[in-house]
Amino acid sequence: MVFVKRSARDLIISKTPFLAVLAALALLPLLGVGGYWLDVLTRVNLFLLVTLAIDLYSGTTYYLNLGISFTFGFAGYALALLNVYYSIPTEYSLLLAIPISVFFSLVILLPSLKIRGVYFAILSLLVPIVYIGIVTAQPFSLYLGGEGGLRFKQLFLDFARSLPSDVRLVFLQYSYYYISLAAAVIGYLVAYKIGFSEFGFMLRAIGQDEELAEGTGINTLKVKIIGYLISSSYVSIAGALYASMRPPVTVDLVVPANTLIPPLTSAIVGGLGTVVGPTIANYLLLLTYELMWGFIGRWRVIVYMLLLITIIVIRPQGLIFKIYLDLKKRLRGVLRE
Amino acid sequence: MSEILKCEEITKKFGGLTALNKVSFNVDRGEIFGIIGPNGSGKTTLLNVITGLLKPEEGRILLDSKDITNLKPHERVKLGIARMFQGMRVFPYLPVYLNVELVARAVYGDVRLARAKTSWALTMSGLLPEAGELPTKLTPYKLRMLEFARILVSNPKVALLDEPFAGLTSGEAETMIDLVKKFNSLGITFVVVEHKLRYLMKIANRVMVLNQGVKIAEGKPEDVVRNPQVIEVYLGVS
Repeated sequence: MVFVKRSARDLIISKTPFLAVLAALALLPLLGVGGYWLDVLTRVNLFLLVTLAIDLYSGTTYYLNLGISFTFGFAGYALALLNVYYSIPTEYSLLLAIPISVFFSLVILLPSLKIRGVYFAILSLLVPIVYIGIVTAQPFSLYLGGEGGLRFKQLFLDFARSLPSDVRLVFLQYSYYYISLAAAVIGYLVAYKIGFSEFGFMLRAIGQDEELAEGTGINTLKVKIIGYLISSSYVSIAGALYASMRPPVTVDLVVPANTLIPPLTSAIVGGLGTVVGPTIANYLLLLTYELMWGFIGRWRVIVYMLLLITIIVIRPQGLIFKIYLDLKKRLRGVLRE
Repeated sequence: MSEILKCEEITKKFGGLTALNKVSFNVDRGEIFGIIGPNGSGKTTLLNVITGLLKPEEGRILLDSKDITNLKPHERVKLGIARMFQGMRVFPYLPVYLNVELVARAVYGDVRLARAKTSWALTMSGLLPEAGELPTKLTPYKLRMLEFARILVSNPKVALLDEPFAGLTSGEAETMIDLVKKFNSLGITFVVVEHKLRYLMKIANRVMVLNQGVKIAEGKPEDVVRNPQVIEVYLGVS
């Protein structure tokens, strides 16, 4: 019917850009990219998980979850608390922090899943704001580190100390980079699989007409909860990994301007619900922002924001995915010739 | 004939407005039951209550003798209630086949069975050539057929059609009538809400008339249209 099997040639053409980018990213450290830029790329890789989380849930259901920065930061705080107060090594705290963060974000935001439209967005935005208030106010600030944050041993630090001093930093940088890259690649492949699976189409059906979806047999609440759980898992993994590599954890992790706006912008400019578009946008936008520093210094904030506003106003349904499709079409044409 | 759908004393209020006031009726297995009434009489609200999208303040709904009043809409679909919505509602950015297949997956669970049923429903409604298209490219008639395919795929006990002839030419409406009759003869019971009495009269075995949320008449179509109260509601004279 519609389930057309693609030819091997088509399959190669469609996978070539992905494999080429993956190979390039994997080889970057071996080609001499290190220091600041490897650090930036590690951050961008982890932010991809947040971008995909937004794309998978908000990009399909149009339930705009602005509480993502809470989940991101909470995963970091959970890791730090386990390490500082229970003396659990960072490597294990990292693994434990992920389900804890997913659980708390579900418990806190679950009641709001019954609310539709803009009210859900407003309610979800309140969560990180309240959390910031809690972290910085006594008596909680005594335990959570207040504005100075919680200090703990960063990931693999004990092992790095056993290495010669001249390779310690390189080891930490490389291992963080490859962990973040592995997380980004697995995250992308899983997101693609989910986004275009039957479950993904149910999420899209909810976004297009929730009442119709419910009236035609879809258990919309169940689908929304599972979708939210998947999305929260992505953000929790990103938050816990990010925090484990950059102690101390501070409220900066929970501030929406730091950990919500960049991936949200990538998801919108990339083309909501397309997976590929937001992924490309995540790398393109975040790396462009870093590159602009070398050319225009502090002016980059204004120029970058103006650029984003212009793109979103001109093409609110996303720009990058459209460009990607056009280029793919051309590439296919060239290869056929 | 045995009852397949029974509504008892259904009352639905929106704030101070009583949209349905103790409405009771039975639908027999295998019949085509029509519901008519002027705008705002509560017809669509009644369908929303039957499908579970609205919860009534009072009353009970029985499907095949099972009380479904407190069930969620998706649970009712699985038990055999299907619905064609007013105003051609489809998922505009999902291909035609997925519009139908998602219903099949929800009802049957099994992928192979769902796909087989989807192919069958699309064939029956003449949509197989457009299976991969987006609904935004379909004509109003084809959109109606898509909604019809969505009903067929779940093999319902009762199909609720909300103004199925709206937006169709007379020729297309006749085709829809033939389809309803065909699948009625194959065992699907239909409840049809319709403004266009001339079409409803051709297919309905019985008709109920609502006015301002109250049932004012019920019976055979030819008797109902002669009812003085019905004439007054529709024409403003008795």
